[in-house]
Amino acid sequence: MRRFVRSEGYARARLISGAFFVVFGVAIAVRTAAIAGFSAAALPAYVLGGAMLALGALRFRDYFARSRQ
Amino acid sequence: MAAAAGASAKAAEEPSLRRSVTPWGSFSWGYSDVGADIFVGLGLVLGAAAGASNVAFLFAGIVYVCIGLAYTELAAAYPVAGGGQYFVFRGLGDIFGFIAGWAVLLDFTIDIVLFAWSCIDYLSKLVPILSFTAHPWVHFLVVFGVIAGLAVLNIIGVRESSAFNELVSGLDVVSETSILFFGFLFAFQPQLLIHTMQMSWPTPFNLMNGVSLAIISFVGLESISQAAQETQRPASVIPRTSISLILTILIFALSYSNLALGMAPWHAIPLDPHGHEQPLWRYLGNEDNNGAAVAVLASYVPYFGAVAALYVPVLGAILLLISSNSGVFGSSRIAYAMSGTRLLPSAFQRVHPKYRTPAVSILMFCGFAIVELIFAALPSLSPHVRHLYVRLFRGEDGITFLGDLYAFGAAASYSFVFIALIALRLNDSQSPRRFKMPFNIPFTYKGNRVEFPVVAVIGFLGIVSILAFTMITHEIGRVAGPLWILFGIAGYLVYRRHKGLPMFGSQRHDWRKAQINILQQAGELEMMDEYMANVKRMDDRRAAAEGAR
Repeated sequence: MRRFVRSEGYARARLISGAFFVVFGVAIAVRTAAIAGFSAAALPAYVLGGAMLALGALRFRDYFARSRQ
Repeated sequence: MAAAAGASAKAAEEPSLRRSVTPWGSFSWGYSDVGADIFVGLGLVLGAAAGASNVAFLFAGIVYVCIGLAYTELAAAYPVAGGGQYFVFRGLGDIFGFIAGWAVLLDFTIDIVLFAWSCIDYLSKLVPILSFTAHPWVHFLVVFGVIAGLAVLNIIGVRESSAFNELVSGLDVVSETSILFFGFLFAFQPQLLIHTMQMSWPTPFNLMNGVSLAIISFVGLESISQAAQETQRPASVIPRTSISLILTILIFALSYSNLALGMAPWHAIPLDPHGHEQPLWRYLGNEDNNGAAVAVLASYVPYFGAVAALYVPVLGAILLLISSNSGVFGSSRIAYAMSGTRLLPSAFQRVHPKYRTPAVSILMFCGFAIVELIFAALPSLSPHVRHLYVRLFRGEDGITFLGDLYAFGAAASYSFVFIALIALRLNDSQSPRRFKMPFNIPFTYKGNRVEFPVVAVIGFLGIVSILAFTMITHEIGRVAGPLWILFGIAGYLVYRRHKGLPMFGSQRHDWRKAQINILQQAGELEMMDEYMANVKRMDDRRAAAEGAR
């Protein structure tokens, strides 16, 4: 497990999952806006989309920081 | 000189924790504790907050993000194995350090019972004789056996290996992501979510109850800061891993609550006791399923549910067992540390002559856990007690009783951590902080440039409101939580008086020396140099100001 999490394959897998998080985050926000608009009830979905975007961005940042090293 | 050499030799001889925790290890250590919470919290919140469960998780989640940022800043600046208790001890002094530590100890003892209880609930989905509602005595005896077994294992020194912990965490992240992916792909209907939110919006009382229970899905950040003393390069590793952990847990909690409210189940849901049809979220939140809601939800996901019904109960049970064990381990470790700083009697530092483990602490806190288990299980074991509970406590079920106390202990200790963070920002501005909570107001305090953390104030208001919700909505938590704190304070005052130590004040601590040792042992030598330079600059400035006067 430890060897795997140090490998290049794991770093790429995180990068790809980060891309998925960004896509899902945007999709959730856009779909919520289309269905529920900007109501208070839609707030949990917007925060969920935002958290996914942030996690995706964090994984991109980690990957590029690791590549620079 | 000889004394200094002796002290240095003694320090070298003192056993210290090995720094072997990697970034992934740090993440999985926290995940195995916080990640297990959603397995317990989902059903409880659905049962209380109904159509506003996602809003309850949102409110608690925002507070949790603030708590997470506070722990990240403090654990990176003070990488020692004491967590919230150490930060409060250092920032606010002895008595508040004791109260925060005592509240954390309440949480750890509840952690032992709640997760052992829920572990058996998850297994009961595969082995029906373990069901709490159908066979309460069997359930009680098995949970009792699990706690006793964990106590014995911890005394003889067996702890789950870090590698096993990492493997289970990795499997669980994949499993939970799969449940959510297939659930949203095949069964989620946004219109159903909106309909549920509109038609089943709870009363303000139930919403407050739901929010107070939702915070238990986010308890366990102590683990990351406790792992800090064993983490390699903690100042740079901890911020990375804890922010990933915070976001992952927030995403899981919000996703599960939205999915549960807006999911069209794969196959028919059993009728309720009155013979009426019921939505999935209500079925997940009832007394039969609220202890194993994630496994039941997973079994209703189209196609994937056929496989998930078989393995999710087992995986959930393993993760919950690890979490329960971390309660046994964590309580004994915190009590040991508090005893070392003379906040608790030295008995808590007594180690078993053969196994060299803190046997007294382990037995004592597992004993408290057994008492809590008896209180939680009694209404189901005896009809007379059930009547009494209905009259006194509105008939809360066992797992909700444990959830009440868990929420109380967490909210109480986190409130102190926010105040300690503000105090440390003002009084210890010399300690380098590689990570700071965002949104700070710079100003001059006692001649030093400091930054006031706005997010800590927001987090403090949030957690205090959750503490108030817990006190308002939980009959048992309102009584038992403050009683635990008062019982602890009384014992603390007696002990301090007996030892001739200040009862309400603090002993003299050389925090400068302590901080240099902490950073040196962490291998954060750049931070240590920076700290020493900051301290020197501050001393020079003070000396110059006094000379001018």
